[in-house]
Amino acid sequence: MNVQFKKGVLELCVLVVLCRRDYYGYELVHTISKNINIAEGTIYPLLRRLTKEGYFTTYLRESEEGPSRKYYQITESGQAYKEELLREWTHFVSSVNNLIQEEEVA
Amino acid sequence: MKKEQFLNQLKRSLSGIPETEKKEILYDYEEHFRSGMENGQKEEEIARSLGNPRILGKSSRIESLLAESRDGRRAVNVLRAMFASLSLGFFNAIITLPIFAGLLAGLIGLWVGAGSLAVTGVAVILTIILQPLFPAFLTLGDLNIPFLIFASIGISALGLLSLIGMWKLSQWFFKITGKYVQFNLRIVKKQEARE
Repeated sequence: MNVQFKKGVLELCVLVVLCRRDYYGYELVHTISKNINIAEGTIYPLLRRLTKEGYFTTYLRESEEGPSRKYYQITESGQAYKEELLREWTHFVSSVNNLIQEEEVA
Repeated sequence: MKKEQFLNQLKRSLSGIPETEKKEILYDYEEHFRSGMENGQKEEEIARSLGNPRILGKSSRIESLLAESRDGRRAVNVLRAMFASLSLGFFNAIITLPIFAGLLAGLIGLWVGAGSLAVTGVAVILTIILQPLFPAFLTLGDLNIPFLIFASIGISALGLLSLIGMWKLSQWFFKITGKYVQFNLRIVKKQEARE
């Protein structure tokens, strides 16, 4: 699939996953790469940007194994942004599906 | 690739961004390695799934410089983002750089000109005031003093106006340069995405 397109969708995926609960970096990356085939490292610059833009906050928490982990938590504006992207996505997918079905009928 | 090697390559490609930010970026990848190993993954395996550290470093670096130039709009950041885009193999550097250097030199020349005008007026007034004290060093010739005073006020005012104009012009110049650099960075990013 086109890489730019994937990057855009990746933003939505990160927002959707973090709406469920707080994740630490590796866990989040793993959850996404289980479903989507990407270079896992590209998620970190994305997380940094979305954090800078105020959509996430981060905090450190000790893990059972020892060293502390950086957790990402979605903010209110992050949730609003997710809703917006989700609307765009749904609209886009249904438009594409409509187009495909029209094609089949014809 | 081992963890050390990955982090070293990443670190090298992050040059030029603030030290604290560099540490934060490296920390995220270090933690990723640590968590992966706790989950029983091998270093090489983790590095492979993360991707090419040089490309990851470049995109972190561009994000960082762009964020800075968006927040601060400081000329220095615009210049740094510009040089970052040059190092990415920005194709028309040979054409753009001389033009940019020429415009910058022109801008500096105009600044000096505007500054000189402002200073000249002040200098003439000082000469008029100090002339009676140092008649041996300062001479006004047979020019008439009220004329000189009005002329120098005029020249200073003109100089000040030019300085204000230059300030606006410089802001505009760096804004345009920033826009142009961002435009190029978008192209570079698209090129990278295709690779």
